[in-house]
Amino acid sequence: MFSTSRRTVLKTAAAAPIPALLPGAPASSGVTLTVNGDTVTRQLEPRVTLLDALREDLGLTGTKKGCDRGECGACTVLVDGRRTKSCLTLAVMQQGREITTIEGLADGDRLHPVQAAFIRHDGFQCGFCTSGQIMSAVACIREGHAGSDDEVREWMSGNLCRCGCYPNIVAAVRAAADEEQ
Amino acid sequence: MQNFAYRAPASTTDALRLGTGTGARYIAGGTDLLNLMKDGVQRHDLIIDLNRLPLHDITPTTTGVRLGALARMADVAAHPQVRRRLPLLAETLLAGASPQVRNAATIGGNLLQRTRCWYFRDASMPCNKREPGSGCAAQHGQNRWHAIIGGSAHCIAVHPSDLAVALTALDATVHTLGSGGARTIGIRDFYRLPGDTPQVETALRSGELITAVDVPSTGLTGRYLKVRDRATFEFAVVSVAALIRTGGGGVVREARLAFGGIAPVPWRSAEAERQLIGRRLDDAAIEAAGRALTLPAAPREHNAFKVPLVRRALATALGGLR
Amino acid sequence: MSPSVVGRPIARTDGVAKVTGAARYAADADVTGVVHAVLVTSDVARGRITAIDTAVASSGAGVLAVLTHDTLPALTLPAVTSFYLKRFVPVQDDRIRHAGQPVAIAVADTLARAQDAAARVVVRYESAPPQVVLADALGEAYVPPPGSDGPNDYTRGDVAAGMAAADVTVEATYTTPLQHHNPLEPSATVASWDGDALTVHESAQGISITQNVLAQAFGLTPGQVRVITPYVGGGFGAKGPAWPHTLLAAAAARHVGRPVKLVLSRAQTYTSHGHRAETHQVMRVGATREGRLTAIDHVVTQQVSRTEELLFNSSEPTRMLYDCANVRSTQRAVRLDLPTGSFVRSPEAATGHVLESTLDELAVTLGLDPVELRLRNWSAINQETGAPHGSNHLRECYTRGAQQFGWSRRDPRPGSMRDRDGIIGWGMATAAHTAGGRPGSGATVTVGRDGTARIECGTQEIGTGTYTVMQQVGAQTLGLAVHQVTFLLGDTRYPAAFASAASATVPSAGAAVVRAATAARDLVVAAALADAASPLHGVAADRIGAEDGFLFVTGQPWRRVAYRDVMARHGAPISATSTPVPTPLGYSTGAVFAEVHVDPAIGRVRVRRIVGVFDPGRILNRQTARSQAIGGAVWAVGFTLTEHTLVDPHLGRVVTPNLSGYLIPTNLDIPDIDVDFIDRPDPDSPALGARGFGETPMTGTTAAIANALHHATGHRFRDLPITQDKILAALS
Repeated sequence: MFSTSRRTVLKTAAAAPIPALLPGAPASSGVTLTVNGDTVTRQLEPRVTLLDALREDLGLTGTKKGCDRGECGACTVLVDGRRTKSCLTLAVMQQGREITTIEGLADGDRLHPVQAAFIRHDGFQCGFCTSGQIMSAVACIREGHAGSDDEVREWMSGNLCRCGCYPNIVAAVRAAADEEQ
Repeated sequence: MQNFAYRAPASTTDALRLGTGTGARYIAGGTDLLNLMKDGVQRHDLIIDLNRLPLHDITPTTTGVRLGALARMADVAAHPQVRRRLPLLAETLLAGASPQVRNAATIGGNLLQRTRCWYFRDASMPCNKREPGSGCAAQHGQNRWHAIIGGSAHCIAVHPSDLAVALTALDATVHTLGSGGARTIGIRDFYRLPGDTPQVETALRSGELITAVDVPSTGLTGRYLKVRDRATFEFAVVSVAALIRTGGGGVVREARLAFGGIAPVPWRSAEAERQLIGRRLDDAAIEAAGRALTLPAAPREHNAFKVPLVRRALATALGGLR
Repeated sequence: MSPSVVGRPIARTDGVAKVTGAARYAADADVTGVVHAVLVTSDVARGRITAIDTAVASSGAGVLAVLTHDTLPALTLPAVTSFYLKRFVPVQDDRIRHAGQPVAIAVADTLARAQDAAARVVVRYESAPPQVVLADALGEAYVPPPGSDGPNDYTRGDVAAGMAAADVTVEATYTTPLQHHNPLEPSATVASWDGDALTVHESAQGISITQNVLAQAFGLTPGQVRVITPYVGGGFGAKGPAWPHTLLAAAAARHVGRPVKLVLSRAQTYTSHGHRAETHQVMRVGATREGRLTAIDHVVTQQVSRTEELLFNSSEPTRMLYDCANVRSTQRAVRLDLPTGSFVRSPEAATGHVLESTLDELAVTLGLDPVELRLRNWSAINQETGAPHGSNHLRECYTRGAQQFGWSRRDPRPGSMRDRDGIIGWGMATAAHTAGGRPGSGATVTVGRDGTARIECGTQEIGTGTYTVMQQVGAQTLGLAVHQVTFLLGDTRYPAAFASAASATVPSAGAAVVRAATAARDLVVAAALADAASPLHGVAADRIGAEDGFLFVTGQPWRRVAYRDVMARHGAPISATSTPVPTPLGYSTGAVFAEVHVDPAIGRVRVRRIVGVFDPGRILNRQTARSQAIGGAVWAVGFTLTEHTLVDPHLGRVVTPNLSGYLIPTNLDIPDIDVDFIDRPDPDSPALGARGFGETPMTGTTAAIANALHHATGHRFRDLPITQDKILAALS
């Protein structure tokens, strides 16, 4: 019967050992990243994602990990000015690029217009998706994709918000876009 | 994920040399590969970063546009030549993924992304594609998103790419480079049906690279219609890329119909196309095309809805081209 | 009391921290020497572990420990009353009760190494076929003993007689699917030991719950456990009870002698902290031709696990909401090989959906407007308890909502309203959710020598605006300006508060702040009155008002003195602490109207607009209250149209443990949402006239959308979620 064989298979599948690393496989090496204008070098294994490097190695915990699979957008950062999901790239691949995180957006105590608009329009509740929403919004406006409410909705859809702040996020992005014109 | 060695070669020659080793894998955007590695679906000892290779360009050709394998989805979609000469392609690219992912994901990587079948993506579940011989849990399991056409008893996973569907309608050509030299593969020969070897998905040989995709400008009128369970940022439940050329009296001279979400490969239906040729694009012709498309359908427990849905989607797409 | 502080839509006081990345959530805690733990979870749903091989995993670089049930020290099972709902602690024996159950913990110096080590643990199982399909096991349903949300077997009046007296009856069977909370922040614990003292940074909706559960598990006094939670990245119930991963992180930290960080993967969140259980519901209603309800008979059957039998989809709306003399509510359980269930945002939504959908069916049967049907059955009292509501302006919600929506322009014939590219449907429903009725909280208010106040309360900020609103409540009560008050939360060193759950924060923590601030203000007033140099000297205390940083004689506002001056002359801080007082049960209601658009060609549905008018008593902050209402509506869109967790029927495992297969709404799925409030104080409120509210707006909205879909298509969709294929099938 099918289900019997499936269970057998499942057990074997679950039990299949993973081969150990090849001898001589690399441990870590110096990885140099430029983040928010600062250039720093850390010993990192190649497998470390940009997100984990930012959070665990550079202490920049403003960038959040919501899914680690590119499905929520909480880890959005700018790389050479373009928005990208930092969980879906390796730190070692981003050497030599300008990385901007939420910590690098404000000018000292002066908030970036998008940050200010998010506060004004209550574009967040718990705040966990907010770093990613704001980084995405900065790029969305810069790309010229904030011309109408529906355009903002579509072009901000790579950032999920579970508190359900979407209408306020749209208002914040539209207001910030108007301000920048 | 397990650790690996990392190289970023500056030439295709170096990349190919590294790529012939066992356990080696190329990375471009990384937007699918890293997830597969995190989930233990794929394990590699050497990751070869292709991003230094000169394969990023988007170039007009006499027949259409050549897309470098490393061109980003967002850049292709926004490229003036693409928007002018291949609007179907731009429309399709913008229907995929999210803005952030489109900034990172490449054309080559998009074509090689792997199925979203949840049994494939969970390394501890039975899956013949991931682990030949372990069984296909989708056959009698949760198969709402699975294939209704072209599957086998070994695999009914669907190919997730929107781009590949459009390229299949556009009759694109994939350029590759391997240790045996350069090859040119028509998109319809590029993808393989699962049969009893679902682990073999494409015509690519071990260590072979996609270098570019040639997309001919057809002069046909086209539309990509993507049907999904939420408004955006989701893979297709079903999708249709339709290209039509009509002559005098509105009679269809040429029709190209490709479908996503219904088959293990981007599905081109010559049978459906034949129903349109020489006829006006009226409801009867469209209905006949839909029937021809789904004639070979063999749905499973949870995906029978795809049969009427893909026919309705086809009708809607063609209706928009009348 | 001045109206100038409470009610104003002031921006969140934690806004800057949240938009700059400075707000530190549990996994962001900066703890020196922290190492990483990753759970290994069961691949089978039912059976036992026959062997675990940790040799390869343990040999990896940087791996500090791989703990299994053979090596993890024994932990005490905390009492269910402490809100550790699960009736076992995993990694203590070889038994597997559900897929995803933790079976081992890998600890390493970096996250990547811990993840890799966890992947290399080889577990062998002896497994039996699981039973996970509710529909296949309905014959095994039973009525479990009552939990904390009321009786499972409830009757008032004579249902048979009520049905017999009805001119029309409607009977319908509905189902709602398994759903998950999916806060954007996966649950996280950072645990560190200093001897027998344990400090935990935890993503907790109830830090006192975490504290007590950890104390019980490790045989400590609560005072030996400190829980710190300045921010929670959404909870929606997931972080209300305490769950095994917190205990396991603390145990691992003790074992390796280092601080340990454990963050659940998104996939693990589908089996680690509860879910909204799948339901099967049979609803029968009887009514007179005029639309007066004569009987309601509601049987809700829901999935529970093998080890727990608490029911969280409970039928308060059936029992409490409408004026009906004959009501029976039966809540049944079916044991399946699935993880422990729990509460998910607006637990009453699943049963409320069915009540409100069935009433729409009744309205259609009677040919009566659905708003009118509800007006005719409006009740001034809580129908279950018989007690009057402190205030109840639901009828005004209906009429105001209908007017704002333009309901009078609705053509009731299904499919009758169209636009260029599709069919329009308009639907409405009542929103109703209990609020509070839970334990109380404490707070300490300290007025410093500079005349500013610091308020400490062991509550939590889960996105509802606690920092901001409690600061307003404190300022209002003390008579200070908002900026003169600081509100601190999220630390068990502060007076204990109830969890941020069950719409209880305002009535529980809010009331604690009111009581402590009142006491502190009275002490400050007493100091001023006793001071011979004060302009208030000798005035009776009950004649003293306080506003905007000044104390003044009522009716003589020029006779005033600044808080700052009183405190400077007093020379020492003045402090008052409130002790917990149980929170009254409130009932916050509203009316929701929704418009959907259906593309008949492919069955695509979009919610076009939502109008909600709510009565949560007095509004403490119009901006944060509106945001909560919008959030509830967004949840309702997901609940009704897209969200369902799929489980493989043979393997007993979730196949959509992610955010690409489990579809929460995106920005593009959400239309404009128009929110309005009656905003009249509830005289029974212990918190300045406000009631709890967070869970109300999701209820009602789900049925409003589904009822709109009936209006559009003429088909009643009784199985959620209402996906495109169901619409298409109905239209074909």
